Amino acid sequence: MHSSINWALLGLVIERPSYAYELAQRFERTYKDALTLSSASHAYAALGTLKERGLVEELPGTKGSRQPKPHYRATAMGLEEYHRWLIGQVAEERRRQRVFQLQLTALTRDPAQAMKILEDYERACLDETCTTLIAGSEEVPPDDGRDLQARLIAEEKRLAVGAKIAWAHYARRELKALGAARAARTDQTQP
Amino acid sequence: MSLLELESVSKRLVHGGRGVIVLDNASLGLDAGELVAVWGMRGSGRTTLLRVAAGIDTPDSGSVRFDGRDLAEHGEQLLGREIGYCQKSFCSTQGQVAVDEVIVGLLVNGVPPAQARVRTREALQRVDGEHLGTRRLAELDSGERIRLSIARALSLKPRLLVIDEPVSGVDLLERDGILLLLRSVADEGIAVLMTVGDLTGLSGADRSLTIGDGDLSGSTRRELAPVLPLRPAAGLQASG
Repeated sequence: MHSSINWALLGLVIERPSYAYELAQRFERTYKDALTLSSASHAYAALGTLKERGLVEELPGTKGSRQPKPHYRATAMGLEEYHRWLIGQVAEERRRQRVFQLQLTALTRDPAQAMKILEDYERACLDETCTTLIAGSEEVPPDDGRDLQARLIAEEKRLAVGAKIAWAHYARRELKALGAARAARTDQTQP
Repeated sequence: MSLLELESVSKRLVHGGRGVIVLDNASLGLDAGELVAVWGMRGSGRTTLLRVAAGIDTPDSGSVRFDGRDLAEHGEQLLGREIGYCQKSFCSTQGQVAVDEVIVGLLVNGVPPAQARVRTREALQRVDGEHLGTRRLAELDSGERIRLSIARALSLKPRLLVIDEPVSGVDLLERDGILLLLRSVADEGIAVLMTVGDLTGLSGADRSLTIGDGDLSGSTRRELAPVLPLRPAAGLQASG
């Protein structure tokens, strides 16, 4: 299953069993612009897929005529697969970062060009730090799970962006040294 | 014109018997109500940048202007008044308890004792440090020391606060409290320039910069920053 929407919806069912419409609303509140449902019916279709795959199941007694909205809960397999998928995301992030670094180092023949890209990359990362909220800066009840969620997301973002800035800083120093060494060699070979 | 303007500033220091360029043609503009954080590794020139920006040190070349006044000429009158410089070390001759650290600065600046006591209490309240007043300086932890140093600077009603590594050695929860405090100081309209040694300390800044080998990188002027401040700073119109 490749759809991020399906996995995100499974996460919400794991967080709290519920029915499709409520899940669609919670999806929008939780993921905002990070992931988008095309419509509420998208949630129904995604739940259908999760059910077919045995990752969620209907809660007994929630589909009858007096309670027309079937509630869904995660199955044991759903929990296990969700766990596996989350860990897989770490590897995926690492892979994307490695691809970027390899693409960038292809420019080492032209250190000045690589430096320019790195400068812009570092600046984009620096600007991103400014959008990271400080814990406690938003009014969220401390006993609400959203408080912990917000703090965890902010800290992860701080650390992740921080690592990128530190790497860009290191790479710029190395490229600067490479450029200087090449310039010195060129000076020596010229009569 | 920005409140603080560093224009093509260069500074060379002698380390281990040889000259090292710690600021190389660095330019920076800082407006009232802005919080700008500078990250750099040890020896990167970050503290020199702050000392030059506060008028403690003069650059070898280039200029530093505060509200249009050249700090090379007016630095002594501005430092400790309109420019507050925070550091975590205290002078033991000024007293043994926290409240002495704040009140001495006010008395030295000619504030009458009764008024100085009121302003000291207000400054300590401002940094959530009322409980620190009677504590001995030696008993304060890193977070408490930085809060006290901010109180000391704020008591003199500065327009620019320059602060070296406010979250260094401070535990995680206290770190966010101090960053929030500095954010709120900027939101009141005071310009804040700080350095951080840990990249997680950049959060909440209007602009973040890096420094290394004398080079200052990032959006060194407000108009270069594509990201709007987290909160519109006091007295500023959000740029479009």
